[in-house]
Amino acid sequence: MIPALELDDVCVAFDDVRVLDGVTATVEAGDSVALIGPNGAGKSTLLRAILGLVPVTDGHIRVLGTTPRLARRQVAYVPQADTLDSEFPVSVLQVVLMGRFREVGWIRRPGRADRAAALDALGQVGLADRAHDRFGVLSGGQRQRVLLARALCQKARLLLLDEPFNGVDSSTQELFLEVLARQREAGVAIVMPTHDLTVAHLACGDACLLNQRQYGFGPIGDVLSPDALRATYESQALLRPGDEVILTDHHHHL
Amino acid sequence: MRHFFVEPFQYGFMQRALVVSLVIGAVGGIVGSYVVLRRISFFADTLTHTVFPGVAIAFVTGHSLWLGALVAGVASALLFSLATTNRRVDDDAAMAILLTTFFAVGVMVVSRVESYTNDLLVLLFGRVLTVDRADIVSTVAIGAVALCIVGALHKELVFRAFDPEGAEAAGYSPLLLDIALNLAVTLVVVAALQAVGTVLVIALLVTPAATSRLVTRGLGTMIAVGAAVGMAAAYLGLVISFSASVDHGVRLATGATIVVVLTVGFTLVAAATWLRRRPAVAA
Repeated sequence: MIPALELDDVCVAFDDVRVLDGVTATVEAGDSVALIGPNGAGKSTLLRAILGLVPVTDGHIRVLGTTPRLARRQVAYVPQADTLDSEFPVSVLQVVLMGRFREVGWIRRPGRADRAAALDALGQVGLADRAHDRFGVLSGGQRQRVLLARALCQKARLLLLDEPFNGVDSSTQELFLEVLARQREAGVAIVMPTHDLTVAHLACGDACLLNQRQYGFGPIGDVLSPDALRATYESQALLRPGDEVILTDHHHHL
Repeated sequence: MRHFFVEPFQYGFMQRALVVSLVIGAVGGIVGSYVVLRRISFFADTLTHTVFPGVAIAFVTGHSLWLGALVAGVASALLFSLATTNRRVDDDAAMAILLTTFFAVGVMVVSRVESYTNDLLVLLFGRVLTVDRADIVSTVAIGAVALCIVGALHKELVFRAFDPEGAEAAGYSPLLLDIALNLAVTLVVVAALQAVGTVLVIALLVTPAATSRLVTRGLGTMIAVGAAVGMAAAYLGLVISFSASVDHGVRLATGATIVVVLTVGFTLVAAATWLRRRPAVAA
């Protein structure tokens, strides 16, 4: 079976400055990997490299056995909902349908099968009854669900979720964990940067510790050791008795 | 009423002016919707100025104005896209440089002509009352091509405007989609040359769509209402300038009148939506 994602000593540099170095990992179908590291650790850059949007300076990235660019159709990306304009005049269904656009092709409009797929995906995130509401009137958590539905109806084999649990309510978090678990059972691989170590443990079997370079990759219980976290976060991590790690990152307190 | 709204169109020149104005109003409202949603109103304004030297050179050398505008518009859109691939060149800096440079070249070219002031005025502000049948045909044809571009790329342009990151991740080239929209804008500028000239055409692109956005919630209705607002303003501007000149002896430039009508409409709609929302906020 071809791995969903192979990173072989990946290095990304902008203007000769290395923002990522020595990232090596293999993600099999059905695996879920949390990318853990402080702000500016290169997590988003790694996502962009997997999407083929930034070139790899050294090493190799293989997505589903091919190059990131060629694999793009099989890869779904879920941005953070709060980066999108809530005043934009699109309906929930129109947003979900965007996940079908590559399949639909140029010039043609989404057809009945596409709408059915979009509505089915909305059902999976519990928003089937909101299909015709404007995207912007939904709550932050609901918008994040819509974006997940958009990725689901793309029927991708690799899901990239950018901080999917950022600012979502507890019911959305629970629903996400359920949906992601079902996707993994169906053989979909998942990669997600996250600041939330608790959620990372619940959603992912593996973790990749990053801060410019890779500090560890493997089963999440082994990788997220207090020592490794302290090394990755440098002065930003504090350790409390009972092995509870507190990240004193300026923007994301845990 | 009939005297004001219908009778002006017993004249052939007014009929032709009406056809051209309505086409431009509709096409401007539709293409402008994508411009407003993509938040590139200032860039579109830059394009309207950068087609000017193309028009000026074509005018002086006796070539087709449409062709000159098209070449200059495409050239400036490409130059802009290239300039901003360097991350140290901000969009607005590139636009300011392009706008002023192209415009200056246009003024230099036109100033070499004897009838300088008069010619310059026509190119800058249009002269819709003098359009002939051939002008109508080219306006309709160029407008149709602009509509074909945004129609064919509708879903991709909306995706790009709504979620640039997501669209890029899905494999849509931001550069190509931007060039396509810029090309459509250039075509509108070219089509509107006779009606309102290069300086005022931006109002026909931005104001109808901005007005429509205040009162609509859906994408389809926003585009349709934008087209309707553009056509209504074109019609009203035309009859107002006709009536002012014939009935009251006041010469009002038609293109400028259309723009003022658009702005008055936008202001009234904005005030109405503000008044309607205010009690809700107080409660």
